[in-house]
Amino acid sequence: MSVLQANCPSCGGPIEFKAGSTIVVVCPYCRSAVARTDRGLADIGKVAEIADSESPLRLGLKGTYKDTRFELTGRAQMRHELGGYWDEWYATFSNGWVGWLAEAQGRFYLTFYQPTPAGVTLPSFEELQLGQTVEGIQAPTPLMVQERGHGTTVAADGEIPYKLTPGERFGYADLAGKNNAFATIDYSMSPPWVFLGSQVTLDEIGLGDAKPVQREARRTSGEALRCPNCGGPMDLVAPDKAERVTCPNCNSLLDVNQGNLSFFKALVPPANAPAFVAPIGAEGVFPGDVKFKIIGAVVRSVLIEGVHYYWHEYLLYNPMVGFRWLVHSDNHWNFVEPVNPAEVEDSHFYGKGATVRYNGENYKNFQDADAVVEYVTGEFYWRVEQGETVRATDYVNPPRMLSREATKDEVNWSLGTYMPVEDVERIFGITGLPRPWGVAPNQPFTGKFYYTWGALPLLLLLVVAIFMVPLTGITKTVLNQQVVLPPMPNAGAEQTASSQPFDLTGNKNVRITASANVNNSWADLDVDLYNEQNQEVESINIPIEYYAGVEDGESWSEGDKAPDATISAPGAGHYTLQVHGTWEQWQQPMPVQVKVEQGVNRGVNFCCAFLLLAIVPLLGFFRKFSFESARWKDSMFGSSSGSGSSDDDSDDMSMDSPVEDYNITGD
Amino acid sequence: MLKKLYLIGALGVVGLYASGSWFGWELANSGSHSRLGVPFFYSGFHGGK
Repeated sequence: MSVLQANCPSCGGPIEFKAGSTIVVVCPYCRSAVARTDRGLADIGKVAEIADSESPLRLGLKGTYKDTRFELTGRAQMRHELGGYWDEWYATFSNGWVGWLAEAQGRFYLTFYQPTPAGVTLPSFEELQLGQTVEGIQAPTPLMVQERGHGTTVAADGEIPYKLTPGERFGYADLAGKNNAFATIDYSMSPPWVFLGSQVTLDEIGLGDAKPVQREARRTSGEALRCPNCGGPMDLVAPDKAERVTCPNCNSLLDVNQGNLSFFKALVPPANAPAFVAPIGAEGVFPGDVKFKIIGAVVRSVLIEGVHYYWHEYLLYNPMVGFRWLVHSDNHWNFVEPVNPAEVEDSHFYGKGATVRYNGENYKNFQDADAVVEYVTGEFYWRVEQGETVRATDYVNPPRMLSREATKDEVNWSLGTYMPVEDVERIFGITGLPRPWGVAPNQPFTGKFYYTWGALPLLLLLVVAIFMVPLTGITKTVLNQQVVLPPMPNAGAEQTASSQPFDLTGNKNVRITASANVNNSWADLDVDLYNEQNQEVESINIPIEYYAGVEDGESWSEGDKAPDATISAPGAGHYTLQVHGTWEQWQQPMPVQVKVEQGVNRGVNFCCAFLLLAIVPLLGFFRKFSFESARWKDSMFGSSSGSGSSDDDSDDMSMDSPVEDYNITGD
Repeated sequence: MLKKLYLIGALGVVGLYASGSWFGWELANSGSHSRLGVPFFYSGFHGGK
C-alpha cells in the first residue's frame, strides 16, 4: 500500500491516504472531499456528514472474506431517487483487493469490480428491462435485472477508491442470480462498470460480532423531534432508514430528510375502518430468534368487480436483519420475508393454472390484481403515500405464499409463511386477537394425520385379518345328522329330538345349520347346545321358511330351507343338540338335518372393525376436500387448485374483508 | 394429544379384532349367551347368509 500523509488543501488539517487504491479522502475536520490527482491534492467540494445510523458497521472494522482479511476504510451514503438511503462501505483487503460492501434495508452485498470482456457491450440504462437476463457478465450464474434507478451521492467518510463527486446523480441497475449472486452496473461511467459478488451475511465475512449502534430514538439536534404541522412530540425508531412518518397527533404524513421532518400531506382514513390490532412499537421475538419491532402499518386494498377488499401490513424492523412484514388479512397472519428474485423460476405467464417454482417447490397462482395503499401509520423506509399502486401476484403452496410486486422500475418477490393467531399473540405477549374466519390462501390443512398416519390401523387390521385366516379360520364339521321330530299332537305342542353327542374344542366359534324340506311352509326351531358336563345350555332360534310360486309367468321364491346361526366359542366339552320345534304341517313328522361346524371364517367382525376404523380417515378426507374448496373459492383461479379444489365459484372473489366491514380509527 | 388418543383407540379396535379371531368371539352372536356380555345382534340377525 502506498501511504500518503498530507494536509487538507481546504483547512490544512492532517489527512492520510492509507490505501494505494484510495482516490478521495474526506477531511475529518472540514468535510472536504480531497482527491489525489497527478498534480497533487484537490478539494472537490464539501460532503455532508453521514446521517446517523444504526448500522452495525463502522470504519476500521476488520473482517475476513475467502481467507483474506479486510478493513472497512471508507463509506459513501447514497440517496435513492424514490427516497431512502443506502450505504456503500469501502473494504481494503490485505492482498490488494478492493471491495464494496453495500448495506441496504438490513441486507449486505459484497461486490468487486469485474472488467467487461473485450467486445462485450452492456445494454444501456434505457435498454434494461426488469427481469431481463444480462449477457456478457462473467458470473457463475445468469443475472437478471432486479431494479434499476438513479442514486445521488449525499455523504461520505474515510477513504474512497473513486473520484466521488458530492451531489452527483448516477444511474445504476441491480442484478440478482441464484445462490445469492449479485451485481451492480454503475452507469456513472461510460462504458458502465460492473461490480460482481454476492449477498452475504455479516457472519460470512467475519463481522458477525458487529452490533448495531444502541441509542435512544432520534431527537434532532438534542431537541425534541416535533411534528412540523401540529408541533406534537415524535420519535423515530429508524431515523437513518425512515423516509416517511405519520404524526400520531394530527395524522399528517411527513417527509423525513436525515432526521428532519417536513409536512407532506394530511392523511384521510377510509370511512368505517377498523383499528389496527397490533400497536406501533410492539416488539416480539419471531421464529429464528430475531426480535422485531413494529414501526409502521399499512392498509392496502384491491378492487375486484367494484368491491374493495382490504388487509393490513405491519412493517417490522431489526437493525441487524432489516425489514420484514407481518400481514393481517381476514384475521389470518403471515410473516413475510424478501426473496432473491433470481431464485424464483417465473414462467412470466400469469393467470389460471400458472405456477412458479422456488426452492424446489411449485406455487400455484392464486390472485393477480393491483394493490393500492389506502392508509398508513408509523414510519417507512420508502416514500409511502396513499394511492401507491403495485401489481401484486400471489402464488401459494401452503403454508407458504410467494408474492410478486411489480412497478415499472422494480420487481420484488417475498415469501410469506402462515402464522397461527396464537403464535402472534405469544410473540407480542398479548391476548384476545380476533380469530380468523374462512380459509387463508396459504393456510395449511392440519388434519392430514387422520388420513395418512391415522389410516395405519386400517392397514394393520388387514394384515392381522390375513394372518388370522390360517390360524383360526379352518372350518371343521363336528356333527352332521338328521333328527326327526315326531308329529305334534296339536298345532301348538312343541316336539323335541336330540342329536348324538359330539365334542367341541375351545376358542372356536360354532355355526349350526338346520335344514328341512319345507315347501310353501315353515318350521320354527329352537336349538339348544347342551353341555353334558356342566349342563349349561345355549339356545339358538333358527326359523326355517320357504315359499315359491309362479306369478304373471315368472317364478319366484323367498326364504331359506337351510338357514344357519353362529355363536361365539362355547367352552370345550361334550355336547348334544336338542332340537325343539313347531311347524305348519304339524300332523306329519319333521326330519331336520343339523350340522355343527367349528372355526368358521366369518367377515362380520372384520367388517365391523373396518367400518369403525374407516370413519376417522373418511372424515379426514372430507375435511380436506371442504378445506381446499373453501381455499380456492376465494381465488381468481379456482380451478387450478388441483386435488380437493372446487372451481364452482371461480368467478367469485372475496380476497379479504369487504369494504362494508372496514373501519380504521388509527393508533 | 387427540391424535395419540385416536391412535390408542384405533389400535385397541385392531387388538379387539385379533383377540376375537383368536378366541372365537363373534360380534354378531346369535346365541342366548355372548362372550361380550350380551348378544350383539341377537334378535333377528342370524349371521352369515
